[in-house]
Amino acid sequence: MNLWKDWRLHAIILGIVIVAELIGTHKIAIGGGVVLLLPMLYAIVIGLGLYFTPLVKEKQSKNAENLVFLAVSLLIAKFGVTIGPSINTILEVGPALILQELGHLATLLIALPVAILLGMKRESIGMTHSVGREPNVALIMDKFGLNSPEGRGVMSIYIFGTIFGAVFLGLISGILATMLPIHPLSFAMASGVGSGSMMAAASGSLVSAFPHLEKDILALAGASNLISAATGLYVSIFIALPLTEKMYAFFMKLRNKKTKAEG
Amino acid sequence: MLRNIQEWTIVLAIIGLITLVGNWIGYSVMPTQAMPGMILLIVISIAGLALDKLLPFNIPAIAYISLIAITLSIPGVPGSETVVKWTSEVNLLAITTPILAYAGIAIGRSWADFAKLGWRSLIVGSLVLLGTYLGSAVIAEIILRMQGII
Repeated sequence: MNLWKDWRLHAIILGIVIVAELIGTHKIAIGGGVVLLLPMLYAIVIGLGLYFTPLVKEKQSKNAENLVFLAVSLLIAKFGVTIGPSINTILEVGPALILQELGHLATLLIALPVAILLGMKRESIGMTHSVGREPNVALIMDKFGLNSPEGRGVMSIYIFGTIFGAVFLGLISGILATMLPIHPLSFAMASGVGSGSMMAAASGSLVSAFPHLEKDILALAGASNLISAATGLYVSIFIALPLTEKMYAFFMKLRNKKTKAEG
Repeated sequence: MLRNIQEWTIVLAIIGLITLVGNWIGYSVMPTQAMPGMILLIVISIAGLALDKLLPFNIPAIAYISLIAITLSIPGVPGSETVVKWTSEVNLLAITTPILAYAGIAIGRSWADFAKLGWRSLIVGSLVLLGTYLGSAVIAEIILRMQGII
């Protein structure tokens, strides 16, 4: 595949990085919180914009996809070397680190009722049982098939996350952590949602907002992402997906009763 | 395998150089100063990718990379101080900028698919991410307070 030979792509990336870093970090106060505009957020937006110019061809876009994976490995290595020195802190906060994985279930409590209210049917099961990254797409495909409502649901969240995930988490992480009375270290643990780029964006914003906690934030985010990657699929298989199906059945019953009462 | 290692090395060296430029402009660290740390991160990544190919377990490469990096940086492990000192010159956000630049160019192709999804997916998708992030943070907060750590 010879990814390194795509000089056009690497030159474009170098250009984007230079422009993004020159613009630098900017803070915007909104209410009680702070939205952080970071170079990485400009980079993804500029990259997406350039895709629609003649500068980027189909080939560059395909190569870029494979390069994201290799570039993320550098990021994972960087997170790893921040975990080692903080190993004692991590063991100390171990229970919180492991149990916060269950917090991912909050997603179906919040998102499932809204999806049903918006008129989604079984699509909502695929959409809300998890954050819908690769392992979850595989799980839904395996259980329901690609062309099922559940399959279409999980794909729509997968695409949403791919396009907006990093930007969205980068933005809300800065504003929530500066606005809510929740400790930055708790948010650091929450940053490991099971996607390298989303973790980078969420924890990057936290580091910018709380520079004095940089070491601990990075160590906890990295450890949490590692735990998410190792346990996330099993939480989905044994807890999240069965629970989503039960809740779906419950809400649909409620809805049918209401329609009957009205009719 | 050797061809793979060669490919990874060249590609990671290119990404590494781009990162060093960003690290210089954005965080004022001279590329020469951050170079040893960057080379170390590249070597760790290649070792993890190679282990993933060599070992028969069904574990993603990033798990190997993490484990190698953690082991090398644990206090008491020979050389760990050097590992931490060198790699601390490479700013985390300087690594994320090129990643998201590549990602931006890659996701252009999914844009058409996204446009078909409609506004309802936008709302549900936002709630999915918000719910996961906030839910995890709240549970972490409760446990950390119970432990008296924060």
